[in-house]
Amino acid sequence: MANDIAIVGYAQSPSWRQSELTEPQFLFPVISEAIERAGVERREIGFTCAGSCDYLSGQTFAFVMNLEAVGAWPPITESHVEMDGAWALYEAWVRLQHGDIDTALVFGSGKSSPGVPAEVYPHQMDPYTLTPLGADPVSLAALQARAMLDAGKITEREMAEIAARSRKSAIGNPYAQVTGDDDPDALLKEPYVTAPLRRHDLPPISDGACAVILATADKAKSLSKRPVWIRGIDHRIDIHQPGMRDLTESPSTRLAGKKAGVGDAKVDIAELSATFSYQEKLLCEELGLGDDVEINPSGGPLAANPVMAVGLARFAEAARQIAEHGKGRAVAHATSGQCLQQNLVAVLEGD
Amino acid sequence: MPADKRLTTHAIEFPYTRTLGPVYSAFLTGMRDGQILGIKSRDGRVLCPPTEWDPNTGEGLDADFVEVGPGGVVTTWAWVTEPTSKHPVDHPFAFALIKLDGADTGLLHAVDAGSMDAMQTGMRVTARWKDERIGHITDVEAFVPEAAK
Amino acid sequence: MTDAKQPDAKQPDAKQLAAKQEEAVDPSAPVTGMDYFMKLEYHELLCPVVREFADALMDKRLIGHKCPKCGLIYSPPRGYCPICTVQTTKADEIEIQTHGIVTNYTVVTPVQYYGQEETEPFAKVSLQLDGGGTLSLQDLPGVPVEQVHPGMRVEIVWAPDDERHVDDVTNRSWGSAEGAIRGWKPTGEADADPSEYSDKTF
Repeated sequence: MANDIAIVGYAQSPSWRQSELTEPQFLFPVISEAIERAGVERREIGFTCAGSCDYLSGQTFAFVMNLEAVGAWPPITESHVEMDGAWALYEAWVRLQHGDIDTALVFGSGKSSPGVPAEVYPHQMDPYTLTPLGADPVSLAALQARAMLDAGKITEREMAEIAARSRKSAIGNPYAQVTGDDDPDALLKEPYVTAPLRRHDLPPISDGACAVILATADKAKSLSKRPVWIRGIDHRIDIHQPGMRDLTESPSTRLAGKKAGVGDAKVDIAELSATFSYQEKLLCEELGLGDDVEINPSGGPLAANPVMAVGLARFAEAARQIAEHGKGRAVAHATSGQCLQQNLVAVLEGD
Repeated sequence: MPADKRLTTHAIEFPYTRTLGPVYSAFLTGMRDGQILGIKSRDGRVLCPPTEWDPNTGEGLDADFVEVGPGGVVTTWAWVTEPTSKHPVDHPFAFALIKLDGADTGLLHAVDAGSMDAMQTGMRVTARWKDERIGHITDVEAFVPEAAK
Repeated sequence: MTDAKQPDAKQPDAKQLAAKQEEAVDPSAPVTGMDYFMKLEYHELLCPVVREFADALMDKRLIGHKCPKCGLIYSPPRGYCPICTVQTTKADEIEIQTHGIVTNYTVVTPVQYYGQEETEPFAKVSLQLDGGGTLSLQDLPGVPVEQVHPGMRVEIVWAPDDERHVDDVTNRSWGSAEGAIRGWKPTGEADADPSEYSDKTF
């Protein structure tokens, strides 16, 4: 059995279309705020783990610069994943299982605005058969959306409804980038960007950061009146070649959800990394989340998509629902790769 | 942009040369020679593009290649209105997963169909080869609707 | 990753690539390799504190931020002190002297990898400016590399008014600003005593 670990602090930057600050500059106040909210001493934090992507920055070892926002002198124990901050959280969760330290700082950050995402992301693909075709995330998502439409698993109207609801939910979210009260029928009159996807089905291009503080059980209880417990966490991956999967399913999400214990009790809210509108329905199906579960009250990735922080932000938003809005049980989900190739699922609970 | 904002530009460039290993070597040698190869998995399926291991079980696969295509069926597609400079076609085209004749999985490639109206799931397409081929996934310039061939 | 500063750096030479292919002799030999030329361009807004650093360079001034807590001076300013984890602002801005001491150096012998434009060995030096503040990645044009050594007293050589620019100053160019600072020249004074800088080398 894993030891209980809790989220005791979290903070985010706004999601900007183009920030004029550098990544360490906008990380700086976010990390400080998370540490302050947790009430820990910066120097007492036992482990630090970050998620970011050098290809987004277009600079080698860009992640080393991000440590300037942490307070890394005298030297601290730290690590980095070239993945969303949610996977950094997973590493910190594993590290805390050792029991020799009681707190960890996790953060994720990224600036998508300097590069051209459609040109950057093909470099995460198979370099022999996919990168040379310039296989970009929007085109690949469109293939998955079409597969779901053809299979009768979603309609374009449902996709527009998901987008409209996300934008509306985001109105109350100070970190959101895309908000609005849209009529799905009006959205459906917009032209396709990459058919069958319209603009509202796509996430915004965002710069931003998120930080979370984790603590072991005793420490969490001493720090916080409302620690948010990570009751289960798991991540799984599917086949890379998009043509070797049934794109209308996400077995990795299903399995990760099962291992994390999503179905063991009623879920109140879920924060899902549904980066494209149709993915929300697919994820809900694989996680067994019904109509009674509130999905992405923050607006989700369709409202704010700071790549490398957006998955960790799902943890922060789900924890907020428990710590600040009295919700009992929440699901946080992060994804990596094209067409939901890799998925991380966690169950969060209040006391 | 306001005058007090200043945009800076930088670029990264890597000239990569990659070795191919036994399976992609066979696949891309085939492309150069104008044939598309798949590989047989232990359960008898034919995978294209071929992989060194079974994607379901992780078992290593024997070099049991079979020719597939050049025709096949579009299983899903996306209409790219504004191609990037990295895309294989410089005018609007479809990305598609194509189940080539004799294969059990989908190959990602471009379909140069002229217009979105010419695309539909289940349509048959066939490879349009380049005249000069070097052993590359884009030796097939694009797939085209079989009817138009 | 090689950070090629020139976005228009030469494209892969198609003829060379073709020649390489032909070199592979037998046109029926198995294909065993694949060339892929990867190029990505980035356009980033200059952050406000570096913008102010660049503007000051155009006025032939060097500026930095002095940490209100530990007193360390950062030039170009970063907007924070990473040691004390405090943010710094315009209120922490100070002007830095344009003469100082070479505290450390390195001689780069350029390997002719793709994108390398230098052919001869060259030195990059770290400077401790008189009155406080440091700069890294600076040039001593005209000084033979074998004569570069710690303790040298140097002063700034600004680019002429009609040539000076800060187009090469980016969020990641650190102290390098060749469009404005041509380099540093020895003042001819006696070398500084190591006690003046030995605890400030970097």
